[in-house]
Amino acid sequence: MKNKILFFITGCVFALIISGTGCVTPEVIADKPGPQLWGENCSRCHNAPGPGEFNNAHWDVIGMHMKVRAGLTDAEVKKIIDYLKLANNQ
Amino acid sequence: MKKITSIVLCSMFASLLNAQQDSTTTAAPKDGQNQFLIMGNAQALFFADKDNVQFTDVDFKPIFLWKLNDRLFVESEVEIETGEGSPDLGLEYANMCYKLNPYMIFHAGRFLPKFGAYRGRMAEGFLNRFATDPAGWGDGGIGAMNEVGVGLQGGIQVGLCKMNYDLYLSNGPQLLPGSMDAPDEAGQFEYEAYIDNNKNKAIGGRVGFLPFPNSCMEIGYSFQQAAKTGEAGSAYENVGVFMQAVDMDYFHKISQLKSIIRINGEWKQLTAGDATYYLPDSLATPYTFKNESSCYYGEVTLRPAFLENKILSRFEVGGRYSQFTRPTDALWGGSDLHRTEVSLDYWMNWNSLIKLTWMRQDDAPDGYYAQIVFGF
Repeated sequence: MKNKILFFITGCVFALIISGTGCVTPEVIADKPGPQLWGENCSRCHNAPGPGEFNNAHWDVIGMHMKVRAGLTDAEVKKIIDYLKLANNQ
Repeated sequence: MKKITSIVLCSMFASLLNAQQDSTTTAAPKDGQNQFLIMGNAQALFFADKDNVQFTDVDFKPIFLWKLNDRLFVESEVEIETGEGSPDLGLEYANMCYKLNPYMIFHAGRFLPKFGAYRGRMAEGFLNRFATDPAGWGDGGIGAMNEVGVGLQGGIQVGLCKMNYDLYLSNGPQLLPGSMDAPDEAGQFEYEAYIDNNKNKAIGGRVGFLPFPNSCMEIGYSFQQAAKTGEAGSAYENVGVFMQAVDMDYFHKISQLKSIIRINGEWKQLTAGDATYYLPDSLATPYTFKNESSCYYGEVTLRPAFLENKILSRFEVGGRYSQFTRPTDALWGGSDLHRTEVSLDYWMNWNSLIKLTWMRQDDAPDGYYAQIVFGF
C-alpha cells in the first residue's frame, strides 16, 4: 500500500515537473487556426457540432468539459472555443 | 495524526484568508463567472430475436456541468435506466476538477477512469455507432468502469505529436466471491461500487499518444492494479488484480468516396489472484480456477458525410467483431465468446441518431436491435 502511494506521488511529481517545464510547440502547430483545430479534435470521437448549437457562455463550459474528457491541450481548447464564439456572433 | 490535522487546519485557514483577500480585491465580472449547463442524452432500445420482440431499455442521462471560474470545474452525470425491469437511479460520475496549470488538472470524486477508450468515451450513446456493446465490455466484462478517488490528468503538445494522461488512486474493483443467489459471480469483479470494501487502494492510469499533427490517430495504454480486492477480514481480502488495455482510434477523410472512415479497436486483459470458491450445492464443494480473461474488438465505420445528397450523407454503416476469452473452469466462464455486429445508422443531428444493429453471438440466436439516441 505504501509503495502504491509512493508510486502515485512519484508519478504526480514527474507529471508536475513535465507540466512545469512545458514543451516547445512548433510553428506549424502553434499557427493552426481555430476552425482547423475544431474539425480535427471534435471529430476524434464525434461529429463536430456547429457554432450555433450552443450559446457563447455554454461554449466556455463545454471547452472545460472536453479538456477533461478528451485530454485536449489548453491552447487547443482556447482556439476552438474562441472560434465557436466568434462564429456564433456573426 | 495530529500533524495531519494541523496541516489540514492550516490549509483551511490559508484558504479562508486567500478567499477573503480575493473577495475584497477582485471585482466580479458583470455577467458573473459561474457558468452552468445541462447536456446529456436520452435513448430507447427495441430488441427482437426468435423468442422475443420488445421495446426494452429506456435511459435518461443528464450531464450537469459547472464552470465556477477558469480553474474550478464540476461535471456530473446521473443515469436513470430501466434495463433491469424498473427505474434504476445511479450516479455515473461527480468529478471535481481543479486546473493546476495548462497541462495538469487535479480531479477528485466519482469519475470515469480512463481505462481503454471505449468505456467512458466511445461507449456514449452518440459516440458508439452500434446499439450494442462488444463482447467483454458489458456486464460481466473486464475493466474499470467508475472509480472513487483522486487523480491527475492533462494534455501536452510534444513537438508535432500530442500526449494525454490520467493517473489516479482509487478504491478499486471488488472481488465477488459468489453467493447462493448468484453463484455464477464467483471470481468476477464489481467495478461500480460507491464505497470501499477494504483499506487497500488501487492505482491506475492511461497514457494516450497522438502521433500525427492532425490528431487523426490516438493510441493508448491503460493499467490498473489493486493488491487487495476482497472484503476486509474475509478469506478473499488478499486477492489482487492487475488489468491492462491497449486502444487505438483512427479517422480519415476519403476524398474519392466523399466519406469519413473510422477504424478503432481495443484489447483488455485481467489477471486476478488465486482463490477458493464454493459450489451452491448441499456440500458447498470447493473449487478454484485460474482467473485470467481477455477481450478485444475491432470496428470500422464509414459515413459519406460529404455527399451532395443530404439524405445519403446522413447514413453511416459499420461492422464490429469482438472476442471474450473467459476462464474455462469458472461458472461464468467456458469457451471463447465471439460476437459480430453490423449496423446502419441515420444521423438526425450531430449528436442524435437512429441505429439498426444486427448481432450474431456464439451462444444466442441472432438479435436485431433498433436504438434511438437524442443528445441534448
